[in-house]
Amino acid sequence: MTAETIIQSLASGLLMGLLYGLIAVGLALIFGLMDVVNFAHGEFLMIAMYATFFLFAFFAIDPLLAAPLVAAALFVFGALVYLLIVRFAVRAKANAGMVQIFSTFGLAIVMRGLAQFFFTPDYRSVTHSWLGGKTVSIAGIFLPVPQLAGALVSILAFGALYFFINRTDFGRALEATREDAGAVALVGIDKNRVFALGWGLGAALVGLAGAIMAMFFYIYPDVGASFALIAYVTVALGGFGSVFGAFAGGIIVGLVEASTALLLPPSLKSVGIYAVYLLVVFIRPRGLFGSI
Amino acid sequence: MTVTRRNVLLGATAAAALLPIASRAQASEVVIGIIYPFSGASAQIGVDAQKAFETAAEVINNKYDFDLPLARDAGLPGLGGAKIRLVFADHQADPQKGRAEAERLITQEKVCAIVGTYQSAVAVTVSQICDRYQIPFISADNSSPSLHRRGLKFYFRAAPHDEMFSGAMFDFFDAMKKKGTKIETLSLFHEDTIFGTDSGNAQLKLAADRGYKVLADIKYRANSPSLSAEVQQLKAANADVLMPSSYTTDGILLVKTMAELGYKPNAIVAQDAGFSEKALYDAVGDKLEGVISRGSFSLDLAAKRPMVGKINAMFKEKSGKDLNDFSSRQFMGLIVMADAINRAKSTDGDKIREALVATDMPGESTIMPWKRVKFDETGQNNDADPVLLQYTGGKFVTIFPPQAAVAEAVWPMK
Repeated sequence: MTAETIIQSLASGLLMGLLYGLIAVGLALIFGLMDVVNFAHGEFLMIAMYATFFLFAFFAIDPLLAAPLVAAALFVFGALVYLLIVRFAVRAKANAGMVQIFSTFGLAIVMRGLAQFFFTPDYRSVTHSWLGGKTVSIAGIFLPVPQLAGALVSILAFGALYFFINRTDFGRALEATREDAGAVALVGIDKNRVFALGWGLGAALVGLAGAIMAMFFYIYPDVGASFALIAYVTVALGGFGSVFGAFAGGIIVGLVEASTALLLPPSLKSVGIYAVYLLVVFIRPRGLFGSI
Repeated sequence: MTVTRRNVLLGATAAAALLPIASRAQASEVVIGIIYPFSGASAQIGVDAQKAFETAAEVINNKYDFDLPLARDAGLPGLGGAKIRLVFADHQADPQKGRAEAERLITQEKVCAIVGTYQSAVAVTVSQICDRYQIPFISADNSSPSLHRRGLKFYFRAAPHDEMFSGAMFDFFDAMKKKGTKIETLSLFHEDTIFGTDSGNAQLKLAADRGYKVLADIKYRANSPSLSAEVQQLKAANADVLMPSSYTTDGILLVKTMAELGYKPNAIVAQDAGFSEKALYDAVGDKLEGVISRGSFSLDLAAKRPMVGKINAMFKEKSGKDLNDFSSRQFMGLIVMADAINRAKSTDGDKIREALVATDMPGESTIMPWKRVKFDETGQNNDADPVLLQYTGGKFVTIFPPQAAVAEAVWPMK
């Protein structure tokens, strides 16, 4: 193993980790806001990738330009999911936890089934894009441009999110609703509106990730599954509900995955992620940056 | 009531008289179970497979002027013209779901035979269930060599397995070396289910036997979100030939990641699977000019056997795709099974098994480049000759063995 191999692996791991963070942050945001785990998170990613693919295939819109459009579409979609499904699920009188789980879980299965029905299970790819397939090489270390762009978008998105949550009225309303949804009603904040916007925001962020991913990953109805699993680990590692925990968690998962593959046979590379996760659960059950 | 000899005789006569009627009544329709992944990560395979089986059923149930068993009759003449009906079951690439679905097909749907399964790992459980219920099973497109070595009585495979396929690859390397091409080192890259593992083991053994040095033997987790660490190791090894055994998803990601990390091997010789799929070439075909894959089918056979082209047209009308290595084997799987049922003149498992054992189908009456279809005592057809295909100018051409080749191999790949 040469130094070059190690640096290359860590660089790839870091880029992938930043993307994992961007994929996971929507999940963390929604959970932090209203204690609901969105089991359809992977499917949100899947439709974002399909949306990017179709914008490319039918209108020749480059994924980079499509990203804001897809994020906006996912914002509407996320808000609708809250207003039409989750809003009623959280009101369940009995067994509220189970109802929430099954409502989003059911949504995931429906979305996957519809995708297979309408889009067919064929594997799709965005074959040409401005950045796709391009690579920069620095001293023998290869950095794929789509992943670099993804990392940059991820950092910008987290920066914007930080500003948004801490500096704007809506961000403060979000924080307040999260602290005590009953009390905010007394000061005239419409809880449903805040929740809907929270779901929209969470979905928009995963939409952004999906558009970037479409540049270098294949697209099919089940594509969300493997990324969703990583997103759950990322969120649990970073701390449930902590938006910046997701950022740190993503980077940790990416780096741990890359370095495990250096030390162990690659078929065992997820062992590292789950071992670190287990360790965190034992030592700090709320996750690294969790507040609950 | 005492049972007299006369009563027994009477009963036997009555039964004998009724039997043909009963079997004729049953035989108006022969139900065959088809078990594939119709949802999940490899749903695309199942959906295409369904079209291939439907094409085969159409050929069997109607009259066509093809030199193919059962094509010239409507239905199965051995069972009074009974039609084939297919029942499709979804195993989602999960061996346990495969087991449950096989059991359901046999006990609920009353199928008399089963054809499957794409994933070798699922074929393991499905064939065990079939053996328990004494229902014949044909592995249409599973290629793991361990499958026919488990002492199952009801397991049959008309197509080659990965040792035969890998053997052909090494024969090809030997032939290239004789011509002066430098092939000394190999990198193996295989996924971690039974398909990749068996394929990797077969290649490792062949490499040792024939004196090739394996620089990297990488077993990776199927459907990984990222393969950069793995490709990094392949690049560091930089062997003369890269030999991947990957399904479609990982194949696409492998090729993309190789391009991203600036790894360009001299040659790729693939163990089929993803590297026979249109989806892979749609996605990354531009980076694969000159890739070589083993196969058991090649469309250029249509030049010699016109029916191959006609059957391909029938399949294409249903699926929008050309027959490939998988759909052709699936098609033949059902033909071979239906042919046995026809000769058995019965839907009884034991009788069909006997007919399968007696199968001797000349290669010319298949759509494959095989010598013939004849099963050994383990249920494997050893006369199915594999071919090597090279992807040039957007299509596959046969380059090996010499008797089937239509072009010379381009080496190194572009």
